[in-house]
Amino acid sequence: MYQRLFTGFLLVACAVLGWMAWGLEAPFSYEPVGPRAYPLLLLGLMAAGALLLFIKPALEGGDSAEAPLPPIMIPKLLLCLALLLALAALFERLGFVLSSIAFAYGMCRLFGGRNLQAIVVAVVLGLGLYFLFDRILDVPLPLGVLAALEN
Amino acid sequence: MDTLHYLGQGFGVALSPNNLLTALAGTTIGTIVGLLPGLGPINGVALLIPVAFALGLPPETALILLAAVYLGCEYGGRISSILLNIPGEASAVMTTLDGYPLARQGKAGIALSISAWSSFIGGFIATVGVVIFAPLLATWAVSFGPAEYFMLMVFATACLAGMAGDKPVKTAVAVLIGLMLSCVGIDANSGVYRFTFGSLGLSDGIQFVVLVLGLFSISEILTLLERTHHGQKAIKASGRMLFNAKEGASVFATNLRSGVLGFVFGILPGAGATLASAMAYMTEKRLASKDNRFGNGDLRGLAAPETANSASACGSMVPMLTLGVPGSGTTAVMMGALTLYNITPGPLLFQNQPDLVWGLIASLFIANVILIVMNVPMIKVFTRVLEVPNWTLVPAIAIITSIGVYAVHATTFDLFLMIGIGVFGYILRKLDFPLSGVLLGFILGGLMESNLRRALSISNGDLSVLWSSPISMTLWALVAFIVALPFWRAWRARKRTPALQPDA
Repeated sequence: MYQRLFTGFLLVACAVLGWMAWGLEAPFSYEPVGPRAYPLLLLGLMAAGALLLFIKPALEGGDSAEAPLPPIMIPKLLLCLALLLALAALFERLGFVLSSIAFAYGMCRLFGGRNLQAIVVAVVLGLGLYFLFDRILDVPLPLGVLAALEN
Repeated sequence: MDTLHYLGQGFGVALSPNNLLTALAGTTIGTIVGLLPGLGPINGVALLIPVAFALGLPPETALILLAAVYLGCEYGGRISSILLNIPGEASAVMTTLDGYPLARQGKAGIALSISAWSSFIGGFIATVGVVIFAPLLATWAVSFGPAEYFMLMVFATACLAGMAGDKPVKTAVAVLIGLMLSCVGIDANSGVYRFTFGSLGLSDGIQFVVLVLGLFSISEILTLLERTHHGQKAIKASGRMLFNAKEGASVFATNLRSGVLGFVFGILPGAGATLASAMAYMTEKRLASKDNRFGNGDLRGLAAPETANSASACGSMVPMLTLGVPGSGTTAVMMGALTLYNITPGPLLFQNQPDLVWGLIASLFIANVILIVMNVPMIKVFTRVLEVPNWTLVPAIAIITSIGVYAVHATTFDLFLMIGIGVFGYILRKLDFPLSGVLLGFILGGLMESNLRRALSISNGDLSVLWSSPISMTLWALVAFIVALPFWRAWRARKRTPALQPDA
């Protein structure tokens, strides 16, 4: 069922990307093969494979190949995704330390940690990883709103 | 005798204090990454690339670090297999079959030490194999032109699908998705923007660190959500820690056979450690006498997959170094790291960068020795790591992954892209499409296209250049054979089933 949905989606994506690739023209070119032949070849092959799986999902496992997803998982998955997106959005604005403390607290609770445990883990991770990467390993991380505290 | 001279030179590089320290750090990190369920060599290696860059490591040191991590992972994966019955990474699945029963019989210490010994022998055999075969292959591969290269990559991708066993079509689609993803960005030959959707962040393509971490770390985190338990109950390793001479002798033949088999599977593009360990286990089981205890704690059943997966990890360096075609997902990531250093792996590497190649090969020997020495006394420390609960581990993995991605370009666009790719990878994984196919396709994609276009430029558009030389014709024949293999297997299976189920 989901497999058919996915291969159907792949077919549509192949068609859209194929239409986009058709419009790729080099303004001037010194070589016989332009920028569009190779992607079109790939899309053709991918569409053939997806079509095969769309028509006969049972060919390779079908529904039995799908790992079952308990309904209770869906809100958890969405929450996890929301946390990841929030980390990405706040990474520079709020700075690494604060955004990762908030993120780690949320993730820790999501994975079954208790309140106090989550606070400890979050603070240790946020500060510890900042010092490890920014100060020791020379990977520059944004300070964000905490930049005012420096110097 | 040139080889020995170069090998000596390589040891000179690998034994410099800095590189030795790097190998030590790499093997420790690798063992820990390998034993934690949910982190494998691919994530471990990908996470360290930005760090190696930020520290300004020279290319040979960076490569030694990554190789040490890779080898360490193959060692570490066995610990959780034996003590928890949960493989720390994919290639340690077969280790659980006999390792866990041994641990339940109170022989955990023996199981751990004999599997470490097996990994050592496997790694040693395969590294000797690398020393012998890699220079030969490199001298031969110098004569490859763009057409032969293109065919070689077609062969590598076909191999992946043909070897995938029960799902060749899904693997092929996964490879094609990877190849398509590598098309994103400015076309190097004509300057045309392809599939960027007007986004500035996509104009120079998808960074491979972003792709790897999205595909493997983020999707893994989403998968781990289904297992939110509080720590794990590991079997305590007590009693005798070292195996005795009799036990060692009983698995020695297995070690030798599985080591060679693992090396061969490592060289084949796309086959990798997972397949090698499974094949070694099956072979040993078939060879064993009738009274074997395979599945109930046979030492040979533990030694076979462990020898094979280390051997295949070392063996997969051969195609990466000599042909520029990765033999496994992890070497694909290592190849990506090399291209970040503006080094294109391939036959010329042996001539132009002997220090890099031979330093790496020598460091495989050294890492192997460090690992066996470290693994026996430190086993208690490593088992402690297994007690870290997921609610600490997962936030840490997620934040370190984000740091790794952010470090590449310092833009948050890459973080969003990584999450998007991660969700896509999660869906693929749920529907049983192999993610390693996407990765290999992505790494090979750029090279494949540029070689195809170069070949056709030389021939002025004449397609027959693709099958005009003996090498490319041989490769076409091999591709045809590999593509036919799944069909033949399906046909044979269909012929057999009616006898079992007449009305099906």
